[in-house]
Amino acid sequence: MQKKKWTAAAIGAVLAVSTAGVAVAHHSFATEFDRNKPIRLEGKVVKFEWVNPHSWIHLDAQVNGRTQRWRVEGGAPSALLRRGWNRNSLPAGTEIIVDAFRARDGDTRASAAEIRFPNGRELSLGNPTTEAVAAAANRARN
Amino acid sequence: MKRVSILAAAVAAFVMAGSGVAYAQASAQQRTQQPERLEGKPNLNGVWQAMNTANWNLEPHSAGPNPVADRQVGAIGAIPAGLGVIEGGTIPYKTEALERLNAHKANLINHDPEAACYLPGIPRASYMPYPFQIVQGGNDDLLMVYEYANANRVIEMRDVEIPPIDTWMGTSYGRWDGDTLVVVTLSQGPGEVKLPAGVMEPNGVTWLDRAGNYLSPTATVTERFTKMGDNHIQYSATVEDPELYTRPWTISMPLYRRIEPNAQLLEFRCVPFSEMLLYGDLLEESAAPAAPAAEAAE
Repeated sequence: MQKKKWTAAAIGAVLAVSTAGVAVAHHSFATEFDRNKPIRLEGKVVKFEWVNPHSWIHLDAQVNGRTQRWRVEGGAPSALLRRGWNRNSLPAGTEIIVDAFRARDGDTRASAAEIRFPNGRELSLGNPTTEAVAAAANRARN
Repeated sequence: MKRVSILAAAVAAFVMAGSGVAYAQASAQQRTQQPERLEGKPNLNGVWQAMNTANWNLEPHSAGPNPVADRQVGAIGAIPAGLGVIEGGTIPYKTEALERLNAHKANLINHDPEAACYLPGIPRASYMPYPFQIVQGGNDDLLMVYEYANANRVIEMRDVEIPPIDTWMGTSYGRWDGDTLVVVTLSQGPGEVKLPAGVMEPNGVTWLDRAGNYLSPTATVTERFTKMGDNHIQYSATVEDPELYTRPWTISMPLYRRIEPNAQLLEFRCVPFSEMLLYGDLLEESAAPAAPAAEAAE
């Protein structure tokens, strides 16, 4: 029961942000996600949420030999539509690989700049802040 | 370019709304100066509002008590009677569509997107008990802005396409059929919907009124706006949805211009008003029952 309420509260918080405070999540990469905690997630898409201010990919990823449900934050729906995304872009069951940055609170959430498919094709998630962080991480590696 | 001129018109409207007296004078003056036609098309600019009880129930209905709060609000929240706005009287639901309709009727108001301040969709936005404004430039896309929930939609004046995604308000495509503005709206789909008390509805639909009537994301809504003189628009909307109905059906009603000199859209940003309905169950259990009693005592 307690758990159910937490879930409801979390969903409520997401919905409240999505309807009321559009600006909040647009500037929150550093407060919500940790650039020093990269994670690679591989798995099947469960669903794709077209919600403001950010879209979310839900996927079942294999982490340490166990299946975990992760949520990966993408760009705003309008940003994705401008890049040509539509309702058929990421159907449930699609295998994807995501290099993402973990949430600071340790939850199974992360933010990513792009997703990759097993055939090597890449797709931008229209997430400018995360793109900048990913580019900086790549520069640091090279 | 089209976007820019709409924006300019919207900004102009907003700026004019800024100072009350100046706006009233400007508005009265502007109305007398407004051309009857723009680029050869009827000029639909203005603040409009339906005057009927369609938002309570599209079908003919008697007056009745408020479905959930008659104890708290009495006659103030009661349902006014209406003769209905559907040509032919009732909505031709298929048998398989009735289960969901009955589920809605068992959860009136509680599951109504209007109570949660969600976007109303089309055609409901046109006959809610709030005014809306049409912003029309020359030979250009149109903007419709609704007082309820700051809803709005652009009428894209081009051929109908398959919209990229489903949204609460759908995607609207317009054309002129002689002097009638014809608007086709597709892909109205709320997706997953948060209902009160932590319930999630995975496949939300668009409610058409407070009586639970609905359409689905596969529906095609075709509206017709025909100017009937300076201060009236004859409005109709045909709903086609082979999944739900045995045949297309049509509502029609007049829309009235708000002619008071200071007619303008005010704000009805209703998200805070829906918080207790949607999230009140998360408060401490002891506090929850006390709230309605305290309100009643005031």
